[in-house]
Amino acid sequence: MTANPPARAPALRVDGLAKRFGEGAEAVQAVDGVSLSVEHGEVLGVLGPNGAGKTTAIKSMLGLVLPDAGSVEVCGVDVHDDPAHAYRHVDAMLEGARNVYWRLTVRENLRYFAGLGGVDPDRLTERHDRLLESLDLADVADTVVNELSRGMKQKVSLATTLSRDVDVVFLDEPTLGLDVESSIELRSELRRLAERENVTIVLCSHDMAVIEAVCDRIVILQDGRVIADDSMSELVNVLREKRFSVTTAGPIDDELAATLQERFDATIREPAAQRGDESGPKHEAEESAVTIDATGIDAEAAADLLDALRSAGRPLLDVETAEPTLEDVFLRLTESGSGDGSESTAASVGDQPDDAAAGDTEVIADGER
Amino acid sequence: MASAEGAEPTADDRGERGSAPSLLALIRVVLHKQFLLLVRYPLNTASQFATIFAFFLVIFYSGRAVAGASLTDSLDGLIVGFFLWTMATVAYAGLSWNVTREAQWGTLERLFMSPHGFGRVMGVKTGVNILLSFLWGGVMLALMMAVTGRILAVDPLTVVPLLLLTLGSVVGIGFAFAGLALVFKRVENLFQLVQFAFVGLIAAPVGEIPALRLLPMSHGSYLTSQAMAEGIPLWGMPAWELGLLLATSISYLLAGYACFHLAQRRSRREGLLGQY
Repeated sequence: MTANPPARAPALRVDGLAKRFGEGAEAVQAVDGVSLSVEHGEVLGVLGPNGAGKTTAIKSMLGLVLPDAGSVEVCGVDVHDDPAHAYRHVDAMLEGARNVYWRLTVRENLRYFAGLGGVDPDRLTERHDRLLESLDLADVADTVVNELSRGMKQKVSLATTLSRDVDVVFLDEPTLGLDVESSIELRSELRRLAERENVTIVLCSHDMAVIEAVCDRIVILQDGRVIADDSMSELVNVLREKRFSVTTAGPIDDELAATLQERFDATIREPAAQRGDESGPKHEAEESAVTIDATGIDAEAAADLLDALRSAGRPLLDVETAEPTLEDVFLRLTESGSGDGSESTAASVGDQPDDAAAGDTEVIADGER
Repeated sequence: MASAEGAEPTADDRGERGSAPSLLALIRVVLHKQFLLLVRYPLNTASQFATIFAFFLVIFYSGRAVAGASLTDSLDGLIVGFFLWTMATVAYAGLSWNVTREAQWGTLERLFMSPHGFGRVMGVKTGVNILLSFLWGGVMLALMMAVTGRILAVDPLTVVPLLLLTLGSVVGIGFAFAGLALVFKRVENLFQLVQFAFVGLIAAPVGEIPALRLLPMSHGSYLTSQAMAEGIPLWGMPAWELGLLLATSISYLLAGYACFHLAQRRSRREGLLGQY
């Protein structure tokens, strides 16, 4: 087991990071006082709606964008004062399929980026073999990247980022363009890196499934600010209130409705017919069906709710429990997160990477790369 | 968070992470990449090379048809000029165009994040480009001498230092324009103009107008021409001429690199480094 010395600096420490693009009325505050600390071996997920400042924040952490204020340390080395020294500890995959050399083979790319990282590629042959195997790239190791699909290129990019051994890896949208199988392989590889190799991973993605499966902790950005920073389990436990729904034949009289609201804080949904939901023929009971939702009640309270309905002579048509996903948690936080009157832009998950300011327009001459 | 219990000791445990980067590893992979691209896609560079050679053939044969034997007087200068232009074009394009391409490919930010430091990475890439320029320049020189039947003096001890100093100012210009590309993007048309401007710089009449010695390449072109056409060795040249060449070369190199450095800072300040 790795024992980190008590005095060891965090893998990543960000303090008061701020970045504004433009001047005057046109100015955009892309990052606004972001502070966080990430321990060795921790996997941090960075979430945020489009334009929340994720990419600018990450690029500022890496020194690729010069911030207006704040400091960033990787393993105790200030990224902006001594970037070359800091880059001994960190690597990043920022632009997915774009950031490798398409005229080189997969293995040649791995060797090139290892050397660029200052390590003799011959010393890393075993590591590269394992990486190629785990990312299912072994069969195309000697294929020129230009001939691969977008998803494969994305995996090559990831492999080159992991081609040398570093303390911290930043991954921006690593699953964009990956098929389900590859995405699952990637998750297990990332967890292995964190757990077995003690690598710190900062993962920025719209893919909630990946974030949920891989991350120990989540930071949610909105309008350049951190609106949530908590461990995955805490964040989910706080917000993940189990919803208990009972459908019964209506109508519900006032007395019963008052009882349900007082005892179980339940909400009563109108009969389907009154909501204008008239798709297809329905049984009489279904047409008058009323659904009672109670959020955050335990099993005993749920049983009491059922008893109350039975006692009132209401037949049960359906009972279900539902757990909100991380996506629900994210949407709820970002919908209420702006807090300063600025318009919330909560969020189209699964969309393209964000940040007009630091984004890209791909053109070009890819045949020459 | 720690490594899983019972796992093999990792590089982190062994303290290998964060160690000083190996310059040799960098040189090796940059050289290897250039070699692979040269072998795998020879037409890319060869087409540019062929254009210059075709241009030379047109001037040589049409000049001979028009001027006859009197062309011989200027033939040496023509060969040296084309030799230098080939080298300058390869060295310059390897920087300015390459930085633009790397920005387009999204690899420029990865170069920037090298633990060697961006400056050293660019330095090594430039060194490899100059090697490449010697290769293409050498091939061009051999072809031109074969076609014209004119054999020039190629004393490596004289020619190589002169060429390196001449290319120093070209590299400076390359850095400056690469910097422009980082900030303003899409300046390829300007790159092409600069390549043609090299012709003027190489052919500048330094003998008649001494002040032209201060221009990039011009003085180096003049001295290289003297060395190759007239067989004057390095030690046979006036010390002040060599000193001036050294001074102008270093000045342009440093000024160009300073522009590049300022441009990359501005590009990072404006969040443009990886954009195109």
